[in-house]
Amino acid sequence: MSVLGEPVRLGPRVVRNRIVLPAHLTNAAVARRPTPQHAAYYGARAAGGAGLVITEEQSVDSADRPYEKLVDGTDPAVVPGYRAIADAVHAHGALVLAQLGHNGGQSSSLYSRAPVDGTSDEPDPMFREVPRALSPAGLSRLVDGFGLVASHVAAGGLDGVEVQCSQASLIRQLVSARSPRAVPFLAAVLRAVRSAIGPDRVLGVRVQGDEGVPGGLSAGDAVRVAVAVEPLVDYVNTAVGVATRTLPLIEPPMGVPAGYAAHVPSAVRAAVSVPVIGVGRFTTPAQARDAVTSGSCDLVGVVRGQIADPAFAAKALRGERVRRCIGCNQECIARVGLNQRLGCAVNPVAGRESSAANVLFAASTRAKSPVARVLVVGGGPAGLAAALAAARAGHAVTLAERGDALGGQLALAARAPERRELAHAVADLAYEAREAGVEVRLRTEVAGVDAPVDRVDAVVLATGARPALPDWATGLDRVADVTDVLAGRVAPAGRVLVVDAGRSHAATSTAELLARRGAAVTTLTSALVAAGDLAPTLDRERWRRRAVDLGIVELTDRVVLTARSGPVLDVLHHVTGEVTAWPADWVVHAGPPTPHLPDLGVPAVRVGDCLAPRDLAAAIREGTSAGASLRA
Amino acid sequence: MLGDPVVLGRRTAPSRVLFGPHTTNLADPRRPRALGPDHVAHYRARAAGGAGVVVTEVASVVPDDHPMEYAPLAAECPEGWRDVVGALRPYGTLVLAGLGHAGGQGSTAYTPGPLWAPSAVPDPASGEVPAVLDADGIAAVVAGFAASARAAVAAGCDGVEVQAGQHALLRQFLSGLTNHRDDAYGADRALLLVEVLAAVRDAVGPEALVGLRLTVDELAPWAGITPPEARAVLDRVAPWVDLVVPVRGSALSVGATRPDAHTAPGFLRVACAELRVPGVATVLAGSVVDPSLAVDALASGDADLVEMTRAQLADPDLVALVRAGATPRPCVLTNQQCRARDVRNPRVSCTVAAPEVSERVVARRAEPVLVVGAGPAGLEGARTLARAGCPVRVVEAGDAAGGLLRLVAGLPGRERFARLVDWWLDELGALGVGLELGSSVEVPASGRVLDARGGVDRASGGTPIAAALRDGLPPGPVVLDDPLGDGAAVAFAERLAADGREVAIVAPGVLVGPGLARSGDLVDAQVRLARAGVRRVTEARVSSWSGAAVVVTDVVTGAVSSLPAAALVDAGPRAGRAYADRPGLVRAGDAVAPRTVAEAVREGRAAARELLA
Repeated sequence: MSVLGEPVRLGPRVVRNRIVLPAHLTNAAVARRPTPQHAAYYGARAAGGAGLVITEEQSVDSADRPYEKLVDGTDPAVVPGYRAIADAVHAHGALVLAQLGHNGGQSSSLYSRAPVDGTSDEPDPMFREVPRALSPAGLSRLVDGFGLVASHVAAGGLDGVEVQCSQASLIRQLVSARSPRAVPFLAAVLRAVRSAIGPDRVLGVRVQGDEGVPGGLSAGDAVRVAVAVEPLVDYVNTAVGVATRTLPLIEPPMGVPAGYAAHVPSAVRAAVSVPVIGVGRFTTPAQARDAVTSGSCDLVGVVRGQIADPAFAAKALRGERVRRCIGCNQECIARVGLNQRLGCAVNPVAGRESSAANVLFAASTRAKSPVARVLVVGGGPAGLAAALAAARAGHAVTLAERGDALGGQLALAARAPERRELAHAVADLAYEAREAGVEVRLRTEVAGVDAPVDRVDAVVLATGARPALPDWATGLDRVADVTDVLAGRVAPAGRVLVVDAGRSHAATSTAELLARRGAAVTTLTSALVAAGDLAPTLDRERWRRRAVDLGIVELTDRVVLTARSGPVLDVLHHVTGEVTAWPADWVVHAGPPTPHLPDLGVPAVRVGDCLAPRDLAAAIREGTSAGASLRA
Repeated sequence: MLGDPVVLGRRTAPSRVLFGPHTTNLADPRRPRALGPDHVAHYRARAAGGAGVVVTEVASVVPDDHPMEYAPLAAECPEGWRDVVGALRPYGTLVLAGLGHAGGQGSTAYTPGPLWAPSAVPDPASGEVPAVLDADGIAAVVAGFAASARAAVAAGCDGVEVQAGQHALLRQFLSGLTNHRDDAYGADRALLLVEVLAAVRDAVGPEALVGLRLTVDELAPWAGITPPEARAVLDRVAPWVDLVVPVRGSALSVGATRPDAHTAPGFLRVACAELRVPGVATVLAGSVVDPSLAVDALASGDADLVEMTRAQLADPDLVALVRAGATPRPCVLTNQQCRARDVRNPRVSCTVAAPEVSERVVARRAEPVLVVGAGPAGLEGARTLARAGCPVRVVEAGDAAGGLLRLVAGLPGRERFARLVDWWLDELGALGVGLELGSSVEVPASGRVLDARGGVDRASGGTPIAAALRDGLPPGPVVLDDPLGDGAAVAFAERLAADGREVAIVAPGVLVGPGLARSGDLVDAQVRLARAGVRRVTEARVSSWSGAAVVVTDVVTGAVSSLPAAALVDAGPRAGRAYADRPGLVRAGDAVAPRTVAEAVREGRAAARELLA
């Protein structure tokens, strides 16, 4: 049995295995209270085998509200919600702790309409609001808040509390400022919480390693704090990054290797004797196992891996393959950062566990009759998801793909540097589809369907979209779509102008690919910010470093008016009205493609880009929904 | 004039002032798409203050349109409409239910399916490519408008207002920017609007009012709706319509629909006058915030009514005060607190009015209060105290009232703050409040005090922005270090550039002035700066200043560069003060922590209430 399956004692309680779902924001709270969605969401991960679930942050002060959907743990009305969460998790044999925290100066008055209480009058780099520096009396009031919320947690039947002293935390701010009040305050908080939850529940602390800020905290500081409070806690959890300044360190995007933060738990574990939790983009069971066997940590925190596959833990213990998180961050971090509900590009049920949509998906896995003969046309993510969902619903499914390989645009996008993990989504869907009995036919063009003759009861059209070059490109040589470059149909070199007229990684990915091959690349966008669409998924910072290293020049506020052979483009700087002629050896265009909708002569359900060209998440969500709701 | 009744269709509004539909985020999150008690209170306050017509927040007519988390859905609104009607009936105010569909300007964050639009043209804001509405989808939209209108009138509404303005599927169909269809709805781009209005009129009958919010100018003459086109559309739909509200702007120019003070008030007056059609009342909208402008537009016959939404956010009693010959609290057109169409779901508020803290106070204690500081917190606090009958004395160390607002009012787009200060002074004068300027009075050790002193400049390598505004700068190039991005540095840079200076702004984020996103001015500000020749050095921090040049460091790459600078202006925050608390003393505004005028007003009033309790 894998080391991951070994039980571990956290103070008074035993966790059944080594896999933890650490705290992360879901935006599932309504009116500052936990909801049935919280219970269903955590319950699904417990059912999927997680040993320990730690809830998202619960506020210990009503006025502390940096984002709308932060649960106010001070309100006694949260207790029934806590009870529902405890019941949902306990039903599957896992433990559940509540994370308690105060955001300090990393907050806003937008919702509270009250001054932000911080540790100094220094504004947070993201919220940019001058806090009111808390007095000793104010700090002591917060200690009482921690105790009050901990009493609600205990009343709700949860197994304990984790005190956040990391990414977004007033306590971290004290530690980071090297305040002599820091450790005494943390100790006072821990004592207040312990007093509220008693000796029979678990108390842990999450300490901050590298802040990723010049002069900021590092692993040594995490050790110092952990050692200082070790007698008061049952375990130590670890973290890197500051939520409002170095967020990409906390939730790193695709391309960052597993275990990037392992040095923090390693250092802490060497200094304390209580169990230590490590985190750091573990997306496969093997990576999680290695983190434990290498001695870096006792338990391993897996957030996005368990969002993508709620059964990550059970599959890890059984040695099965999981549906991998690809680090695209589109539906989790990007959504949550915009005050929207947590989701997952590769798992359309994530964040909707309690909704009608999930009931549909879940029911589809049980319904075994009547059986329909389903033809899915197109093997991109939408088609694969539709075929998989239909097969799981018990239908007999054939998937026809005219190309040599599955994956559609996604497979192409995965050819770009730093985007290779996109191929995992294709591979995992294809694997699951074949396991579910989908018959995959490659190099099969479907021109028309005669339902009775072809013995087809239902058709799903997932034929995607075709590249669309703009009008100014008509008749010009050496003007190509990004997909032509990614597919290897053309090989631009020399001075390449990449025109970014879309909202994806297509332009930046292609620019990087060509620059790595030696081209002198300039990108051009009409937007105010170059590669601005990479910001919500936390890809932009890494992109900028690579772009600078590769000498890629990024131009903003510009649109192409016309073009002539050369190619030479007439480019308008739309804020000043200045028009400049741009000669290039090649022009590569990234823009929204055109839906491809062949008429097969039968009614068909349209999913993915052939309905409207959108992203991976929309394709998988729509395909899954369509496949699950087919009827004979 | 403003306060005169006006006949609309078969109804009469008690005044000529309309409170227009606007995003409020006032829903109860447990019923996110219904109109709740906070909506009712919001509309009731304006009706009580004399509004003639209230148009409720636009409700989606079909469930797959869900443009914002708390966007009302017509199917969930009848109860709320009934409550609004019941609350407004005593005042005679007419209630129109705002009805719409955001089309390609919606959001797929809240719906599982795609956006729906006339053509597959991505929205410039979201970049999302919509799915193309087919005949069934179009029929569902028409039916949705009709059913929603029927439900609104059944709930007691006096009628509906159909949204073909900004964020509207109906405008997207009207416009060559977004309608590239090759069917009947493309050959005749007004066809869908015609069908919708005919169906709505049919649904509500002849007694109810049908209003139309119509984009008359998309500011995109190459393909967008132009005033003559809009006129032709209105001529066609006039038989079904009782009142029309002309508005402007397309998806390419969202900020132009409800601009801040960078656009002169009343900018639609000519367009409105040219759109007059017999039998259709015309409503002048577009930054109509001053009663004098509104009265003039009505008197000249350019319009039959005026939409004064933001003016009534600033002062819910606007009509009643004008009737009584008084001056309402002025809207300053900063859009900082009232623009609620934002993913963070801020509740609609007001920079100058602090609606979160009631103005109505009954004094339980009438011992005198000393107000120290005559900035916005002190002035609002003094007014609140005096209106409750409490003896008040205001002392101010400086030689003018208004605090930092006086300096800020010298910046482009912020001039209207001077009106606000003048209004406070007029109010205090009328209330007999003594104001002592240039007073060196310290906060006394005893007695009741409202401490509204300002913040202090931080020790910094450069000239603090307040000092630069007050005292000026030496000649030569200027670099503004802008870690806050609240818009002050942007406005100061514009003024310096207008004076012929070489100016650069250094900002840590991807754009300068990111705080302007809240007001909707962020994009326009970048364009103004670019045109003025202001250099924007983003994702950078100031490392040092030699007296002649500033060294800046790229925050991502660490690359170092240099900018000429005879002066370095620190546009960062002011410092807090370590004041001692004592019984009988309440602090407000920058004396709590240096922030914005909205907090100062709110806390000034709240402090006064605390002292009166």
